[in-house]
Amino acid sequence: MSRPASRGARRFLLRPSWIVGALSLGAVVGFYWLMALRPDANPGLVPPPPQILATFIAELRTGDLLANTLASIQRVLIGYVIGAGLALVLGALAGWFRWWGYVLNPIIDALRPIPALAYIPLVIVWVGIGEPSRLIIIALAVFKPCVVNARAGMMEVAQIYVDAARTLGASRWRVFRTVALPSAIPYFIAGMRTGVSTGFLALVAAELIAAPSGLGFMIQNAGQYFRTDVTIVGIVVIGLLGALLDQMANRAGRALTAWSDVRREP
Amino acid sequence: MMSVTHDATPKLAVRGVTQTFVIDDAREPLVALDNIDLAIPRGRFVCLIGESGCGKSTLLRIMAGLLEPSAGEVLHDGKAVRGVNQALGFVFQQDAVFPWLTVEKNVAYGPRSRGVPAPERERLVDHWCRAVGLEAFRKAYPKQLSGGMRKRVDLARAYANSPDVLLMDEPFAALDVQTKASMQEAVLGLWESTQKTVVFVTHDLDEAVFLSDVVVVLASRPGRVHATIDNPLARPRNEATRMSDAFAAAKRELWNAMQAARTANITPAAAARAGSAEAPPHPHTSPRSRVAS
Repeated sequence: MSRPASRGARRFLLRPSWIVGALSLGAVVGFYWLMALRPDANPGLVPPPPQILATFIAELRTGDLLANTLASIQRVLIGYVIGAGLALVLGALAGWFRWWGYVLNPIIDALRPIPALAYIPLVIVWVGIGEPSRLIIIALAVFKPCVVNARAGMMEVAQIYVDAARTLGASRWRVFRTVALPSAIPYFIAGMRTGVSTGFLALVAAELIAAPSGLGFMIQNAGQYFRTDVTIVGIVVIGLLGALLDQMANRAGRALTAWSDVRREP
Repeated sequence: MMSVTHDATPKLAVRGVTQTFVIDDAREPLVALDNIDLAIPRGRFVCLIGESGCGKSTLLRIMAGLLEPSAGEVLHDGKAVRGVNQALGFVFQQDAVFPWLTVEKNVAYGPRSRGVPAPERERLVDHWCRAVGLEAFRKAYPKQLSGGMRKRVDLARAYANSPDVLLMDEPFAALDVQTKASMQEAVLGLWESTQKTVVFVTHDLDEAVFLSDVVVVLASRPGRVHATIDNPLARPRNEATRMSDAFAAAKRELWNAMQAARTANITPAAAARAGSAEAPPHPHTSPRSRVAS
């Protein structure tokens, strides 16, 4: 009600956040370009941006890039859904119900300091080097920030809403479902957004486990053949993909918390 | 429901309620409420008044069952209640409207919790949104409403749940003078149309005089009933009532009672007791009176 219902694409792109954002990203590319143009730079190791663009187009033509991207997206999505789904359920229970907390908190807190990548050798030994191993690593990486945030959100639920619901006749389960969960949504979103980046982090590492495809595989493979341009294309695609998923999580979060009057700027 | 029986059983009764809080282990527990006896007669509008720190909000939370007293009990229609008494409605001082629900969903929350069927729920929401003047804002979220309108949502939500008694904890303390006045009239209107017992906590003399049938004056440290005063002001009351001589007289009487409650605090005996958990059986410097029913 407080925002205009529609907005032209032109105005959207002219917003200061977009202009400044594009300039700042452009500055990074420009700096790289300067480095690539230095007389002592080896174009094989520091390929200039036009060459990278050409490689990008070539990789698109062969279909390799698309296949690898799709393989990675599928992997990251499945791992993400498993990791985030479990984390939200367990985090919400641990943060709300005392006995669930007694059971789950030690496990969550013991897991917290361990990087997901530390499990790789264990997972390979136990599960092998197939697809399940990669999904487990990604799920573990996503699980951690999601569970910690979900639990924190449930512990921060304002007592006043709980009291109001109880005086209105809500059962314990109804208070959990209709008061605690919705008021913790902003925390869930924060955890899920962090999960997107840790998920991608784990993706590349997981695809080092004898993966037949994927962006991590592509980067690793290209590195072994000194195809720096292909590596950079892979890295940029991962970055774009991650940003896209983060935006989707952000949008979903805003839609779910449209009722909230907290500050909306990033 | 509207039977005219002169039932001697009070709607709500507080018996021997004492509440102590442990501030830190080194010191004696703080006595917030000391052996409170109180009877709220059916259908009356009772105000609890006292300076801040006298435990009036604590007492109201105990009546609602949101807080378990250290000693004593609360009787509802003569029966002791344990845990949250869901037959009572509670309007909080803070903004307690659920910000993630629209106005109508807030109002429907209680009936939904109780499994009231949809058509009946719809009728309740219609009725109570209209009763508080929010029918145009049914689909709005609380963040789009002013503080006074959110209080109206809170009132509608409490009434839509068909409570037996309404407990209101300084609900209008945060509102500006004019909004407050119109909310007080709204509350009186709701009380007159529903005939439901109201216990209303306030620290505001004008508010207590304008709204109440009976005012219970609490003294502080430890919190206890100092006096119970019948409000002689005629009903119905409106804006003109606030300017009348009778209003001023009632306010003066209440002011004197509050001053007396205050001086009662600084007697040596009270000062000695304030730090002690062991309250003598009759720790009152002034006679404790029961609300006449």
